[in-house]
Amino acid sequence: MTDLHWLTATEIGAAYAARRLSPVELTRALLDRIAARDREINSFIMVDAEGALDAARAAEKEIAAGRTRGPLHGVPIAIKDIIDIAGLPTTCHSKVLVDNVAHADAQVIGQLRAAGAILIGKLSLHEFAFGGPSKELPFPFARNPWNLDCHPGGSSSGSGAAVAAGLTPLALGTDTGGSIRNPAGVCGLAGLKPTYGLVSRRGVFPLAFTLDHVGPLARTVADVALTLDAIAGHDAGDPGSAAVSGRRYGSDLARGIRGLRVGFVRHFHETDIVADPEVATALDEAARVLEREGAQVRDIRLPRLQVIASVQRMILLSEAWAVHAKWLRERPADYTAPTRRKLLCGAFLTSGDVVQAQQCRTQMIDAVDNAVRDVDVLLTANGMDPSVRLDDVAALARTYPRQARSPFNLTGHPALALMSGLSKSGLPLSLQLVGRAFDEVTLLRVGAAYERATRWHKLRPPIFDDVPALAAAG
Amino acid sequence: MSDSKPAKYPLDPLAVARAAGLDRCVELFPDDVIAAAQAAAQDRAELPAVDGAAEPWPPMHIRSAQ
Repeated sequence: MTDLHWLTATEIGAAYAARRLSPVELTRALLDRIAARDREINSFIMVDAEGALDAARAAEKEIAAGRTRGPLHGVPIAIKDIIDIAGLPTTCHSKVLVDNVAHADAQVIGQLRAAGAILIGKLSLHEFAFGGPSKELPFPFARNPWNLDCHPGGSSSGSGAAVAAGLTPLALGTDTGGSIRNPAGVCGLAGLKPTYGLVSRRGVFPLAFTLDHVGPLARTVADVALTLDAIAGHDAGDPGSAAVSGRRYGSDLARGIRGLRVGFVRHFHETDIVADPEVATALDEAARVLEREGAQVRDIRLPRLQVIASVQRMILLSEAWAVHAKWLRERPADYTAPTRRKLLCGAFLTSGDVVQAQQCRTQMIDAVDNAVRDVDVLLTANGMDPSVRLDDVAALARTYPRQARSPFNLTGHPALALMSGLSKSGLPLSLQLVGRAFDEVTLLRVGAAYERATRWHKLRPPIFDDVPALAAAG
Repeated sequence: MSDSKPAKYPLDPLAVARAAGLDRCVELFPDDVIAAAQAAAQDRAELPAVDGAAEPWPPMHIRSAQ
């Protein structure tokens, strides 16, 4: 059998069904790997070894007795430390909440428990899902397994780093301006920001109420679909939750994409913000791959990227200010400098600014809705650059706004990040697919077809052991 | 990502911050306050013009009517 730590959730389920593997055996293997490897990566803020092993033993008994709950039964998953797990700390990676213990599970945690998933710990993030790497943080910031000197993206930095390093097959992240798709992109993973309202935010500390999404990061599209199956669905306790019932989001993964229409939003990375040439070349190649798989690819235009991003940013800053104003007044020294500087912007916005942004938002939603009326999915850049060094403060500051992710937080459409190549320096490149609202089935179908045709998802970071990066691609 | 000209915050940032109750920030982190005011001015400058009578998102929905 492949090294246990590189098994996907899909493979784990098959191994359990064939009695070739047990939840306890797998959980112990992952806990050992975390203990051995995470000192270098810092992806976990806390590991709940006892809780994970208890859950693994319970899953083992149920599965042995033939009471399998579903595809995630006995499958480990790690959780961004902004999502409540009852009895465990939710620190948001901030001194402000360093002593905070959750009293109840977030809705998505309850759904994962019901599916039989094993919660193995809480993952590092940018402070309050907004700051950035800083030595002032209460725990060390996460590093990119592809190159430990490089940024793992953010804000779900631990989620990306842990899955890419083989410390967990699955992770949950949150995404307000790209915080699932950024780490998924620079860590070589699949990461989904679902449609706004499809996954409950109850029990998730807010960054910006109307932009926040919860979603999965995994090593394959199939695993993203399995996780979404578990966490999607209406929640009356989340005011933004949509009146939808869960479904099998991976039902069309094997169907192929012959006849589907793909709108390639080239201007985002060719003229609006000029991407690194390797990113642009990989996007062109992705368009060719989708055509070879039978899709019709044509160029399509949306409003200028900077314009959409500025509207998203205005709403983000105003809503985040509402969340943090009290603490900024009372204990500003408990924030790190990057977070404080960003959050303070909200104090200088006016009611007119915010309403103007919300008026623009209506137009932007209409523009994307109109675009996906003529095509089935959009193909766009994810980030405009491969990852950069953590100690290069100027490069870090430059890459954050060089992205095409935040438009779809503004509009709420589902967006999937996928690995699209390796840079000459050995760092992952990534693309983004965007679907119609609540049509994750088609979005994941296209992602799976791309994945089968390219096999980038088979690559592993070469830093530790185990798998020679390029050889593994097959 | 900005390709427009740098915008300047038109008021005294420290005075505005004090009016917003951020006295401790002003005292401890005046550079952060000034930088934030400047960034906010830039964000405002990049916001596209829109018809002031346009309906903002989201449209009002009365809950009891459902």
